[in-house]
Amino acid sequence: MSEEVRFESGRFEGIVVRSPLVSPARLADVLHKRFAGTESYFGGEPAVLDFSEVSDWPEQVDWSGLVAFFRRLGLQPIGVRGVPESFDAALKRLHLAVLDEAAMRLEAAATPKPVKPPPPPPESPSSAEPLVPAPTKFIERPVRAGQQIYAPEGDVVLLAGSNPGAEIIAAGSIHCWGPLRGRVLAGAGGNLQARILATHFGPELVSIAGIYRTFENGLPASIANRSVQVKLQINQGQNQLLIEPIDTL
Amino acid sequence: MRIVVVTSGKGGVGKTTTSAAFASGLALRGFKTAVIDFDVGLRNLDLIMGCERRVVYDFVNVVQGEAKLTQALIKDKHVDTLHILPASQTKDKDALTEEGVEKVIKELEAMGFDYVVCDSPAGIERGALMALLFADEAIVVTNPEVSSVRDSDRILGILQSKSRRAIEGRDPVKEHLLVTRYSAKRVEEGEMLSYKDIQELLRVPLLGVIPESDAVLHASNQGVPAIHLKGTDVAEAYADVVSRFLGEDKPLRFVSYEKPSLIKRIFGGT
Repeated sequence: MSEEVRFESGRFEGIVVRSPLVSPARLADVLHKRFAGTESYFGGEPAVLDFSEVSDWPEQVDWSGLVAFFRRLGLQPIGVRGVPESFDAALKRLHLAVLDEAAMRLEAAATPKPVKPPPPPPESPSSAEPLVPAPTKFIERPVRAGQQIYAPEGDVVLLAGSNPGAEIIAAGSIHCWGPLRGRVLAGAGGNLQARILATHFGPELVSIAGIYRTFENGLPASIANRSVQVKLQINQGQNQLLIEPIDTL
Repeated sequence: MRIVVVTSGKGGVGKTTTSAAFASGLALRGFKTAVIDFDVGLRNLDLIMGCERRVVYDFVNVVQGEAKLTQALIKDKHVDTLHILPASQTKDKDALTEEGVEKVIKELEAMGFDYVVCDSPAGIERGALMALLFADEAIVVTNPEVSSVRDSDRILGILQSKSRRAIEGRDPVKEHLLVTRYSAKRVEEGEMLSYKDIQELLRVPLLGVIPESDAVLHASNQGVPAIHLKGTDVAEAYADVVSRFLGEDKPLRFVSYEKPSLIKRIFGGT
């Protein structure tokens, strides 16, 4: 076996969190509703925390609290952007990369220079949208209590349904042939166009782009165990969940 | 050799009763069968099999190399082709290692066993994981109540992700549903889930339905596997289970309830 160690310039996918807040407590308040209390909402993706939208920087920031908070959501913070220099030492102690400089160097590298550019930060502003459609995840067996299906990019198609206590999370839409039970979250990355479609509708919770609804007192007869579509509609400037039977003529 | 795990997630649903009856049933059909108690620390199988006084060495002793497998295997007093490997009462669950269990299973195969029945402890911790790790087939024991069904669902998910077959990407573990402690009367009265409801929820082929019966309690107190209780519905239901497991076609019995007629109610009788 070769023992050669190689350093290659490469790109990898990650998540950029743009937050106008730097207090872990405030973030927890604001995001609790969005993620409906789901621990490990994400699947361990690397994340860059972008704080360029913070208008009023406090003197002290609980960086380790912030990192712990995003870890609980299932992200792995690897670096920050848009943070005043006075925090550099604190960030270094937590081994968080300060990425502003790297991003600037990347832009400089666009002008011809005989130097190899450093690996770009994930999802740098210059990255083009991929032309290949995001892959669809096909799940052929029932998703059972305690199991989680997570599609960080595309759609999920459940060919044998899901059971109570299961959790289905997709950046895109969720299609279900068979009973749909458990917690079902589509448009997880904020995609307002995502939908949930099921032949036998009966989940405990549905969510599209963070707007969710639970069915504590059971489902209305008009949708229970029927073919149902869930999507967002705009009502007086607000996104609302629309849950309606699909007419099968 | 086929390895069959009897599992459920929830405790007290009838795993050990089923393991004892099912292993005995396979042995009665002439298959060389071993039944292993994975419930280290809370051994029960030897009591139900009526061999608790013959336990000298146990599963953990073999796993830890303190005894030979042949020393620890106890020959069943009812059926010649059945052997019991009891659990340890003194050790804790961490005493079972993957390598140790694998060694025992390989040795059983070399000894010419046809079936190994693994009696899983309740829960989804180490003991239960060890019991299902090498399974080719799984009998998921479920009672007709919601929490038991939910736990069975959970264990089915674990079977399809944590078993060797799943990890190595081989054909999945073959699943069987066994509904136990079933009272057709209480189902009729709407107090219990019907076996059809359970099957619809779990979507696993039904291997059988075992009726609720006092005979099970008597059997376990006497150390006799329920399948040996001649003439009881429980023994017949378990015999049907073994037949279906071996691919024979048997209609379901003991699942419908007929109200006693007026004459019977007046004059008694059965």
